[in-house]
Amino acid sequence: MQQSQRRSLEFVLDNLVWFMLLAVLAIFSAAVPSYFQPGIFANIIEQSSVLGVMSIGLALVIIAGHMDLSVESVAALSAMATGILFASSGIGMGITFTPGWLVVPASLLIGIVVGGLIGALNGYLVVKVKMNAFIVTLSSFIWVRGLVVATSGGRSAQNLADEVRFLAIQRFLGIPLTAYIAILCFVGFSFMMAKTRLGRHLLMIGGNEAAAFRAGIKVDKVLMIAFILSGAIAALAGWLLAIRTSGATANLGAGMLFNAFAAVVIGGVSLKGGLGALPGVYAGVLLLSSINTAINLMGLPAHYTQVIHGLLVLAAVLLDTLKQTIRKQLA
Amino acid sequence: MTDQLLVLDKVTKNYGAVQALRGVSFSIGKGEVIALLGDNGAGKSTLVKIISGGLEATSGSMHFEGGEFRPKSPSEAKAAGIETVYQDLSLCTNVDVVANFFMGRELTRSMMGIKVLDERRMEEQVAAAMENAGTRIPSLRTKVEHLSGGQRQAIELNRFVHWGGKLVLLDEPFAALGVEQTKRGLQMIRKVAAQGIGVVIITHIMQQAFQVADRMVVIRQGVVAGDVPTKQTNADAVIGMITGETLTGAGPGEGVGE
Repeated sequence: MQQSQRRSLEFVLDNLVWFMLLAVLAIFSAAVPSYFQPGIFANIIEQSSVLGVMSIGLALVIIAGHMDLSVESVAALSAMATGILFASSGIGMGITFTPGWLVVPASLLIGIVVGGLIGALNGYLVVKVKMNAFIVTLSSFIWVRGLVVATSGGRSAQNLADEVRFLAIQRFLGIPLTAYIAILCFVGFSFMMAKTRLGRHLLMIGGNEAAAFRAGIKVDKVLMIAFILSGAIAALAGWLLAIRTSGATANLGAGMLFNAFAAVVIGGVSLKGGLGALPGVYAGVLLLSSINTAINLMGLPAHYTQVIHGLLVLAAVLLDTLKQTIRKQLA
Repeated sequence: MTDQLLVLDKVTKNYGAVQALRGVSFSIGKGEVIALLGDNGAGKSTLVKIISGGLEATSGSMHFEGGEFRPKSPSEAKAAGIETVYQDLSLCTNVDVVANFFMGRELTRSMMGIKVLDERRMEEQVAAAMENAGTRIPSLRTKVEHLSGGQRQAIELNRFVHWGGKLVLLDEPFAALGVEQTKRGLQMIRKVAAQGIGVVIITHIMQQAFQVADRMVVIRQGVVAGDVPTKQTNADAVIGMITGETLTGAGPGEGVGE
């Protein structure tokens, strides 16, 4: 195969998800009545914010060659912490500040610290104790969710202060501020992955951990940072979710893990590690939201969403395998 | 003789009751290429690990550039200027040539207080290093997975030449390479040696040893069974030393036996 052909094929493989997104949007716009309008697209972006942020953390850990199944539960715990402390009805304690806007940094900080701590525990068990990341984070996925149910007693907290709700209500160009926070996160972490030493080291550890270690990269430290970041970012996602729903319930965000997982894989991140970039992950999230929106518009019963998501995860892993086969033939 | 770079004196290594090395003595000069030969289990790998810091010797001494040398970890040996190229290459195939070249030592520049990778400066330096070594790689931005075995080997060799390695240990570096690639790799080794770097190459293939080495050091049952300049021996004599049939052609007294 010629060099130029290989280049273009590789370009398509690297950015496959964007082509898929465009194709899916085009098909739905043509086939589903009232799909093609600015409000729908704004809605897709809005829906993508929480899942998108959660996917960033998951992607960082998978790119480094590991796994973090705890992101969904960590997000729920962060949301519940925000709900219990700052919501005014239900089990909420309704803590307020003067001036009132201080609730924004306070709730965010508490959430991120909680998420970072769980991430640090995951990282410690994986990196220092040398336990399998899948098992460690599966355990966290279960016990953190248990903690959410236990602290809330299965009940919910409602009515967050207007100063926080502002972020979900106030719109700029038809899109709420929370969605801009998600986009900012994607821009920031994409920059980190592409332009800084930390990002480069994460990528290389995912590619060949032994080589990175031999070259003097502090593999343990970098992996630890990845797990802490994943926890903290998941907490940020939970905080956004609490703001969006103005509170928290014990089963908030249940099932999001698999959507995040699907988005990351569809977005071009290889489960083998060392491959993938965050812009693609955002496209993966947008793709999922586009499909959800189409299902809603077509009036299919909501149960089918789960069936379709399940098939999407399968399709995503299949796609990953297929891409690896094609790449091998290219090499 | 050239300046002595590394001198081993009666180095031994015991694994419990098993004596893997029973007193190995030889030396490596600057710019010298030594082929380390021996049958499986002769103790070659143990010896390389002791020099590269992976294992500690039980007794005996090493001197590197005239000073006492006893590395406790690979990073310590690396800091002293000893680089090891392993059988399985130490490259991340998922990133490009430049990223591999600067692995763990990336150059950065400050952009609004944030340290950003300085890709252009890194690429310039890699291009210069590759040109110095006479290695041609079509694009330094190609992912390493698309490069041939020989090109990968060249990257790895150029990498430590660039970073100021003084001694290179190559553990069966051509095990997976084809004829043409091996030939290029051997040329590469001569170029490295011409820059004053000492090279120790472990190989099973006699022909390679004769093509590239200045001196043959044969290890048998944990001792140096032969230490001869390449020009003064031949394949049959070396095979004899490896299998222990004969000691003819063994070096001038130095380091033979205990």
